Amino acid sequence: MLKLFLAEFRRSWTQFIRYPFEAIGGIFITTSIFYGLFLSAKYVTGTAFQLGDRFDAIVIGYVLWTLILFIMTEVATGLQYEAQTGTLEQIFLSPYGAVLVFFVRAIASLTRQLLIIGVILAIIMGLTGSRLTFPPILILPLITVLMSAYGLAFMMGSLALLLKRVQQVLGILQFGLLFILATPAESWTGWGQVARWTIPMTGSAGLLRDVMAREAGLNWLELGLAVLNGAVYLAVGLLLFRFCERQAKKQGKLSGY
Amino acid sequence: MNVLEVENISKHYRQGGTRIEAVRSVSLTVREGEVLAFLGPNGAGKTTTIKMIAGLIEPHTGQVGIAGINPHRHPQALRKVGAVLEGNRNLYWRLTPEENLAYFGVLKGLTRSQAKRRAATLLERFELTEKRKTAVQNLSRGMQQKLAIATAIIHDPLLLLLDEPTLGLDVEATQTVKALIREIAQEGRAILLTTHQLDIAEELSDRVAIIQKGEIVAQAPTQELIRQFSGTHYVIEIEGELTFEQRETLAAIEATIESDRVVSIRGTEALYQALGILKPLPLVRVKRDQSSLTEIFLKLVRNEV
Repeated sequence: MLKLFLAEFRRSWTQFIRYPFEAIGGIFITTSIFYGLFLSAKYVTGTAFQLGDRFDAIVIGYVLWTLILFIMTEVATGLQYEAQTGTLEQIFLSPYGAVLVFFVRAIASLTRQLLIIGVILAIIMGLTGSRLTFPPILILPLITVLMSAYGLAFMMGSLALLLKRVQQVLGILQFGLLFILATPAESWTGWGQVARWTIPMTGSAGLLRDVMAREAGLNWLELGLAVLNGAVYLAVGLLLFRFCERQAKKQGKLSGY
Repeated sequence: MNVLEVENISKHYRQGGTRIEAVRSVSLTVREGEVLAFLGPNGAGKTTTIKMIAGLIEPHTGQVGIAGINPHRHPQALRKVGAVLEGNRNLYWRLTPEENLAYFGVLKGLTRSQAKRRAATLLERFELTEKRKTAVQNLSRGMQQKLAIATAIIHDPLLLLLDEPTLGLDVEATQTVKALIREIAQEGRAILLTTHQLDIAEELSDRVAIIQKGEIVAQAPTQELIRQFSGTHYVIEIEGELTFEQRETLAAIEATIESDRVVSIRGTEALYQALGILKPLPLVRVKRDQSSLTEIFLKLVRNEV
């Protein structure tokens, strides 16, 4: 498993830096967008986002937003890209099995993306003179958000296996994400609370807001619910992917994209 | 020993309410060190069959065994399979040959150090060492194809599936790939090869299986199939002029004078009679007129037999 992760990370990183001008250009553009957003941070966070107006919270909010967008599209678009370049079938020929390969690959891509984001943040901090500090406990709700996000990503990947083209669905999902991440579901009552812990990422995003913006401590019971939410979505995503892989093999759809 | 055993695999699809039989009760075997040319017109079911063998498409009925293990039930069977499924589109184009081999080695179950060692050996053997640090997209088509084959055997598989391995290659690259396929088979690997270039199939294969509309219509050792379809037709090429008497006598034994210097005749007895008639003219060659695999293929797929 570790050797597969390292191989996937090397592949992903090497492909990213193969053409340095392209890689640096990508980082420059993303940094510029981030910097522009930070300069108008108060305007951006004024209404929809409830992360507060602290610089750190804004940074975490945007990092989370871009990471989740990246994750959600990673499996499905990766699958479609590999199908076009003809390497998809080689993945399905791996004795590790496609589910494990895609899962490890997703974690490797996330690691690469975190490294790139780290570089971008370092540049931003250098430019603004600000220092980013956040409580380490933030990692826990963040992991639960990522688990749910990967669950959804594998559901999208499952659709891509059978339907082949899912760009439209991915586009719609991004709007859904805005609702999921930005709605202050922690203020919901009654059935709203059930919905909060049933909808993917909503509860976890609330916990992040607690820790980052409200400087409240972490509610461990709620963290438990967030872990459960993340684990269920991830498990369902992976199982659905496995199911759709079998369906694609039955229907002869693992080619001809 | 049979490396590949395919027993009565079938696959059908539904299209607009109609059931389409893509593959019907196909059975194949390939022994170690053997090259089986799997031939058929477009849409005959070759690729579906290959993908069922590789575990990429699940058959509705029948069994696939790779060294006795069913890849549809036990993914570890895939350790014994290498495949080049669609020309050169089996590689990461931004990676170098070295990086591709190392990555696919791990993907196929090797450790990184095993994959790197094996990569170095294969790069040397496939004459790609000089290009080991060049991105695949900057390699020639022939080099890309050699690399795709090297990648397919990085984990030392028993069975190699090659779908149109010489498609789009120039003459020199085709020769190189042919030589490599021969070498790989000589190492004891079983090779299942599809190609539309029937001269290559004839040259490389030990056995031939021809599929038409999802069914195997012929399966035999290549030379046996050629013998079976070749008549007892002989061509005699001579030097010098035929006399009027010789022409008359040859016509009497139903020999055909195709040009002033080429006589064709049916049957061994008639051949010796003709040789007697032609004496003392110098002979350039006497050749049994063999059917080519192309002619046999066309006869079979056009239902002319």
